Amino acid sequence: MRTIDDFTRPLEYLSPLDDPLGMIVREWAETYVIPNRRRFDEDWKDHRLIEPAFKRLMGELGLQRVLFPEDLGGWGLGRSNYAGTSSYRLFEEVARADSGMAVAFGVVFWPLVMICMEPHVNRELCEEFAPIFCSTTEPRFAANAMTEPQGGADIENMEIVKGSTIQTTAVLDGDEWVINGHKLWPTNSGGVCNLFGVVCTTNPGSEDPNDFAFIFVPADTPGVTQGPPYEKAGMAADKNGDIWFENVRVPKHYRAHGPGLDLMYFKEVITFGNLGSIAFVGGSMMNVYERLYQFVNQETYRGKPLKEHDAVAGVLADIAKDIEIIRIVGYQYARMIDRPDLYGPRWGEEMVAKGRAYKYWACDRAMEDVGKAMNLMSLYGADRDWDVEKHWRDLKIVQLWMGGKQLCQAEVARWFFECQTL
Amino acid sequence: MGEHDIFPCLREWMSEMDVSLAENLRRWAENEVMAKRLELKEDYQALLEPAIHKLFLEIGLQRLLWPEEHGGDGHNTPAAALTVTAALEQVARGDVGIALFLSSLFALQSAVALEGAVNGEACAALQEKIAGKDAPALVSLVLPLYRGEPQAKAKGGKGGWTVEAASARPLAGGGNGNLFGVLCRLEGSEDGVALLVIPGESKGVQRGEALKRTGLAADRSAAVEFAKVKVPEGMCVARGEEACRGVLSWLYLGISASNVGALFASYEILREWGDNRVIKGRGNIFKENPLTASVMAEVAKETSLCRLLTWNLARVLSDPDLYGPPGAEANYVTALMVAHQVSQSAEKAINNAMEMMASAGYAKEWNLERYWRDVKTMQSCLGPYELAKMDMSRYFYRASSL
Repeated sequence: MRTIDDFTRPLEYLSPLDDPLGMIVREWAETYVIPNRRRFDEDWKDHRLIEPAFKRLMGELGLQRVLFPEDLGGWGLGRSNYAGTSSYRLFEEVARADSGMAVAFGVVFWPLVMICMEPHVNRELCEEFAPIFCSTTEPRFAANAMTEPQGGADIENMEIVKGSTIQTTAVLDGDEWVINGHKLWPTNSGGVCNLFGVVCTTNPGSEDPNDFAFIFVPADTPGVTQGPPYEKAGMAADKNGDIWFENVRVPKHYRAHGPGLDLMYFKEVITFGNLGSIAFVGGSMMNVYERLYQFVNQETYRGKPLKEHDAVAGVLADIAKDIEIIRIVGYQYARMIDRPDLYGPRWGEEMVAKGRAYKYWACDRAMEDVGKAMNLMSLYGADRDWDVEKHWRDLKIVQLWMGGKQLCQAEVARWFFECQTL
Repeated sequence: MGEHDIFPCLREWMSEMDVSLAENLRRWAENEVMAKRLELKEDYQALLEPAIHKLFLEIGLQRLLWPEEHGGDGHNTPAAALTVTAALEQVARGDVGIALFLSSLFALQSAVALEGAVNGEACAALQEKIAGKDAPALVSLVLPLYRGEPQAKAKGGKGGWTVEAASARPLAGGGNGNLFGVLCRLEGSEDGVALLVIPGESKGVQRGEALKRTGLAADRSAAVEFAKVKVPEGMCVARGEEACRGVLSWLYLGISASNVGALFASYEILREWGDNRVIKGRGNIFKENPLTASVMAEVAKETSLCRLLTWNLARVLSDPDLYGPPGAEANYVTALMVAHQVSQSAEKAINNAMEMMASAGYAKEWNLERYWRDVKTMQSCLGPYELAKMDMSRYFYRASSL
């Protein structure tokens, strides 16, 4: 019998720990998530079912520590040559069970990329924040506070607006930053966040890269308020909400790197966001394949399994083909991240643009394929009992976040065709 | 401007009554459903029950196609296909699940109540359910899965039928439907298949556990067992392939019109977004950006074309003298094609609208995601597209072994 492990991975790129780690996460998924996930939708606000699974994965198995240096209690992934491919495998395995959990898990590392990744490790901040994640068996969450009410993902459209639309301000007052602003939608907000990375401007309206600031704010700092989670079409495990920063004071050294460098390395955050998105798509599609495999074997049409009908088989082939290609493309991008000596810096425009291209392509293919799978399954396709509809709802969210398809298109066209005004 | 002014609907085919009914139902949708969504966000299903009651019983939509002599409003000529389309567009704009229940009801009524072919025995038997004032007539259709063999079989006997199905899956309403329309394989009959109506409270009807589904909150889905259910002869409302296909043609019209209603609502939500959202910094309104405008154009294009197609299908079904009966193979295949095309277009257009709204597209607060889930769930009622295409090829290419 074929399994998800029959989809191709570029074996020569993988870390020796890839399979052992992958199997640990798969066992976790089979034990802690898959038996419960059909009840996750009703658990979106309280996380009574979801929280224990996070505790096991992040706190007890310790995966929330992976990016920090070993001497600070971490696993040193930020200094490894396999940060991209290992992340891809981890995210894929978690997303196979629940992509909402995968994004909540993945985003723990998102702001930490700014300070934990070679060659731009900020040792002082690693030491400051490692205990939050490395000295506990409880799950701890980080979030990137980027999106603002007035323009949504405009904040991420750095090449054209250059930070000029950011309205969250950071003013230096002696040895402290004073932050004021309102952010929306970050994964791991909605009341669960422990550490925010906040996108700010030191000079509102400015297009000067030096005025872009990425500043860390522990969630329990006075003046930080997290609103309740929003209710969404899917991804109940990922909490999103409003965050208000009112005269929030943090030490001066909580700025990730300083003028110019904050914006430069922030683009690496986008690169990892693209990688994670592709992995979430790939993982979800693996499970769609598993569930669909069972369905088309079990259900019959005119006395034969559905899969034996030629026209149905054509659709099944299209779905399998796309899963195969998504996985190959995802690992290829992960490899490009792991080898900046060959492919350029992770924060370069080329890496960002190519990641956007792969991300929106994978999302488009997945949405079409899962839609077709649901259609093949007739009335059962929309049943929660078959899980496919859950992936359909979740994947739509992956497709729309980080500025959605149009921002991806703009960045891809801008780089490949050297557009000047997009 | 309302959608009548924006999207073409072949006004020359609409009667004054159709226009007036649509306006009334537009108000129902806005007052009874749309205005209360945020207030009842935590319990949307609870919102729908009084809305259904008002629509079906007080406004009386369930009596629309029913003959006057059986307590109905008597709009039971084939031209009602146009009236139904006008009505369902507006109902689905408010809630797609309610529109699907009405589509099933109208499809069932089309078999027994249309002028010139009124089945007096069936109308008399169903009069209390449809013309009564106690409970909304929620029709739950049990049709073949995967376009194959019927899920139920019926055996004729003295004065009636005995229906059996182990674990049948209705399109909707397995849990809350009170009239089942069950397409059965007839044992020992040359007619082959028939649609039998079974009241929900009949002895031998057993409903399974409630199923959670992607969308259509008005529907309580469940599998249903029919254990030697006795059905009087008069409850056989369509007999033979052509008659049963006629019911399906009307159902497909209803599903098409319901998709159009969902598209209207999605368009309105997107229009508001496009008017107010700013991108690329201050002063750049969303709808004025060429890239986003091109995607918004796709939404409008699909909505326009879906409406044109749906009204053309309604026109075909409204004039059997010109086009033949609704169950004629040509009309059935047309209805099937239109329903699949409209359903796929609606899925695509609402996907596009969600893309435009990014996070607001999937936030329940903005309501767009509800139409997205509802349209996809309703699509499942059509069965797999790949297998529907076999019906199309059989007709157009005279394929004999598909």
